[in-house]
Amino acid sequence: MGNKQTIFTDEQLDAYQDCTFFTRKEILRLHGRYHELAPHLVPMDYTNEPDCKVPLSLIVNMPELKENPFRNRIVESFSEGGDGNLSFNEFVDMFSVLSEMAPRELKAIYAFKIYDFNVDNFLCKEDLEKTLNRLTKEELTPEEVELVCDKTIEEADLDGDNKLSFADFENMISRAPDFLSTFHIRI
Amino acid sequence: METMTECAQPIGFHFLFLRLSIKVNVELCTETRPSVTTANRNAVLAFQSSKKSRHFTYFADFSENVSLFSRRCGYVGKSARRTLQLWQGTMKEIGGKFGSSVLTYFLFLKWLLIFNIFSFLVNFGFITIPQLVYEPSPNIPLNVHFRGLEIITGAGYFNNTVMYYGGYSNETLVGLVDYNMQLAYFFTITVYMVLCGIALIFSMAKSFKKNYVLADSATSSAWQLLCSWDFSVTNERAVRKRKSNLRIQLKESLSEKAQQELLTLPEQLKHFGVHVGSWLLSTSLAVGCGASIYFLCEYEQKHTADTGSWSLLQEAETLLVPFVVSLINLVVPFFYSFFNEFEHYTNQRNQIYALVIRNVFLKMVILGVLCYYWMNVVAEVFSCWESMVGQALYRLVIVDFLFLMLGCFFGEFLRSVIGTRLISRLGVPEFDVGRNVLEIIYAQTLGWIGIYFSPLLPAIQILKFFILFYLKKVSLIQNCQPPRRSGRAAQMKTIFIFLLWFPFFVGALSMVAYTAWRLPPSEQCGPFRGLNTTFGVIEVWMDDLVDIPGSHWVIWIYQKVIRSEVFYFLITMIILVVIYIFWQVTQGRKRLIGLLRQQIVNEGKDKSFLLEKLQNLQKSRKPTSKPNKQKGHSKERPGEPPTGSHSNAMVQALLARQQLQDEMDQSVPSDTSNSGALMQAMLARQRALSQNGDVYHRPEERVSSFQTAQTTRNQENQESDGHYRMVSPTNAVTLAMQARQRAEGTREDDTDYLPSSVSSVMRQVMQARQRAEEELNSPSQNTAPSGSSALIQAMWARQQAQNEYDDGY
Repeated sequence: MGNKQTIFTDEQLDAYQDCTFFTRKEILRLHGRYHELAPHLVPMDYTNEPDCKVPLSLIVNMPELKENPFRNRIVESFSEGGDGNLSFNEFVDMFSVLSEMAPRELKAIYAFKIYDFNVDNFLCKEDLEKTLNRLTKEELTPEEVELVCDKTIEEADLDGDNKLSFADFENMISRAPDFLSTFHIRI
Repeated sequence: METMTECAQPIGFHFLFLRLSIKVNVELCTETRPSVTTANRNAVLAFQSSKKSRHFTYFADFSENVSLFSRRCGYVGKSARRTLQLWQGTMKEIGGKFGSSVLTYFLFLKWLLIFNIFSFLVNFGFITIPQLVYEPSPNIPLNVHFRGLEIITGAGYFNNTVMYYGGYSNETLVGLVDYNMQLAYFFTITVYMVLCGIALIFSMAKSFKKNYVLADSATSSAWQLLCSWDFSVTNERAVRKRKSNLRIQLKESLSEKAQQELLTLPEQLKHFGVHVGSWLLSTSLAVGCGASIYFLCEYEQKHTADTGSWSLLQEAETLLVPFVVSLINLVVPFFYSFFNEFEHYTNQRNQIYALVIRNVFLKMVILGVLCYYWMNVVAEVFSCWESMVGQALYRLVIVDFLFLMLGCFFGEFLRSVIGTRLISRLGVPEFDVGRNVLEIIYAQTLGWIGIYFSPLLPAIQILKFFILFYLKKVSLIQNCQPPRRSGRAAQMKTIFIFLLWFPFFVGALSMVAYTAWRLPPSEQCGPFRGLNTTFGVIEVWMDDLVDIPGSHWVIWIYQKVIRSEVFYFLITMIILVVIYIFWQVTQGRKRLIGLLRQQIVNEGKDKSFLLEKLQNLQKSRKPTSKPNKQKGHSKERPGEPPTGSHSNAMVQALLARQQLQDEMDQSVPSDTSNSGALMQAMLARQRALSQNGDVYHRPEERVSSFQTAQTTRNQENQESDGHYRMVSPTNAVTLAMQARQRAEGTREDDTDYLPSSVSSVMRQVMQARQRAEEELNSPSQNTAPSGSSALIQAMWARQQAQNEYDDGY
């Protein structure tokens, strides 16, 4: 805490502290992790706010994300433009939302984005089927997949349009108290 | 990125805006995906631009600076706390391999360890150090030497040291300052217990608020598919295992649906009989164990002498009771699990609860019997009885630790060896979180009871928990597999904290309180010798205070507040009234939730009805007649919506909406459109919020906020093309509706005026729909509903705004 670091200016660190759920030390540590993903790409000096993005393929190889079935979707939801290349701001955002301090509403928003494969702001049946296939390694028969997705829509859809809007999803999340602790990645 | 610094400024409103901007953004974003930073940046820019237009008073500025300053101080505290965190890496590793439900055990253990560290520091600092400074060498009788057995029995050499109550003097220690040992001992213990109680109550309340919601059953498909995946699992094998577990559970729940048959009456009676039988059996087993421990204590007491020195055999005999207690604690829960196999529960949650209640009852019976024995028999018989009780507790703690280690070895290691090598059908054991948590709750209770009788017992507890952590971690990683059924971890955590508080902490506190209140302290040893009760030390202090001028307020508080019964009576009445009020509020909110859910369903029906009607009208209308109709109703200008052209407005509004939806699918609104819409939504909402809160009651004002939102938006984007402008009205409408919906969902209480407004708006929409339905049945299609429907008015207002800028459709 006493040694001078030259990666960020003090104002930048304060801004990061205010906009995310991390402390200064954690932000510096995150920068270290970001740097080691692509050492030739990421500068050590961020004081003049360089504009560099680490590609998707490097980020999904992080040990925290490597085995996650949704790793691609997670990274894509936090990137601007949906292509999965994250700048440092987006990288910090991602882990801030996935940390344990983020409130449930924020996590619900991003969980919805992650499960929304075709990015139409609804969890339609295809989205649910893709989710299910990722979660079970495609070992369910197609009839079972369809049955589970139908049941899910039937249980969670409140306004009867055969797909889950964000309000439906949030309603379901509010009745699952474990969500806060399962939607959590430690870094 | 330059806006990261700007973000630092409006900090007091940060979270509100973060939430608001992100929520609105989710509704709006179609192809583009602004991240938190872009959304935040836009939100901040919008807020700042609106801020500058308002007149900021000095007070608002000052309060903003104060909140900024306090947040920065909070960060310093937070980062200091994070640096002191133990075992971060281990927690991550355990969470990565076994998931969050197993992690709750280790987090709980760490939390209890912090209690003990705090207690040790407090006791050591305030009680032990002064005693050691005053009397560096304890006065041990001559014929007692250190034999190795003391480490386990705690008697013998340790008896007169500062380890126990008896080693403390009762004088006012004269040194640099006059240190009143009696008061110090009393207040240290009291303050520590009170702080513990407060910490427990707060964390229990926090946990209740976060976790104990009206939860779905864990077998619902929606929950399993969308909420049950544990993102913190990072180990490849664990992930594979979880996937196959999930698959099995899904298959089970799919097939279970067919099997839910109702039980016939004889079967129900049979199940009920089995339940009653096993409850009776477990209760009698617990009571029997309690009675046997009591008789064992009596038997042992007859054989011990009240002298200061014991022979080796006598000391070893004192280990008999702790040994039997720990044996009972180890073996009887297995019987309970065994009984559980025969019982038939409707859902798994009841099964777990029943098991937990039985185990808790057993442990409370044992502790109760021991406390009763100590307070009634030991207090009468022995001369320095507090030290005897302290020694008994020390022995209990140590033997419990030994048995925990043995249990680890036999329960998990051998079981896994048997499971993998010998009977491979059994498989590797699951880590039983419930049983382990109850064990450490019991251990902590022993520590809490013992704090009065043996101030340095927390040191032993610290060592015990520390070693236990590593032991359990190694055993977990080598021997166990994660629990197969995922779910309910958060609720179990709440229940464990509640259990820690309710029977265990409250029991320990009441025992210590009873001792301090009623029992006469022993006369030859300890800081309270010579007094009638421990509490008498306060009276002595009050007498002393009379002589000191300027402290009359303390005496006043003591006599009028603490000793008077009226005060407690009043407080109790007030608390009961407050509880009743909160309970009624909760009931009201529950009913409101049901109503709102019903309204969401109605909203969906409205939407599909309107779209259907639109399609019908579209089929029956010719395209050339549209401009005439538009000119026709542009003549009418006023506050009342024109009744004649109402259906036309509706038609056109809905047509426009559909067109926009089609166009939105193809076109790519740029990022500025989103931010503009964001600003719009926030300006509109701000304006609504800044008005007196009555704005939502009257639809006309709501329409006016739409209008202003649209006009400002149109002013800003005059150079954009037509289709872009049409994006705005729909967006404003949907925005407002979604803002309304969101406002229903937020838990902030600054929008208290919403429920009545929501229901009035919804009622109007529903009435409009009903009237439209009636209208459909009646032949004349041109008489539109004459009541003011907010939806239709909104669309009409939008039409008007469009007419001002468009030349035609």
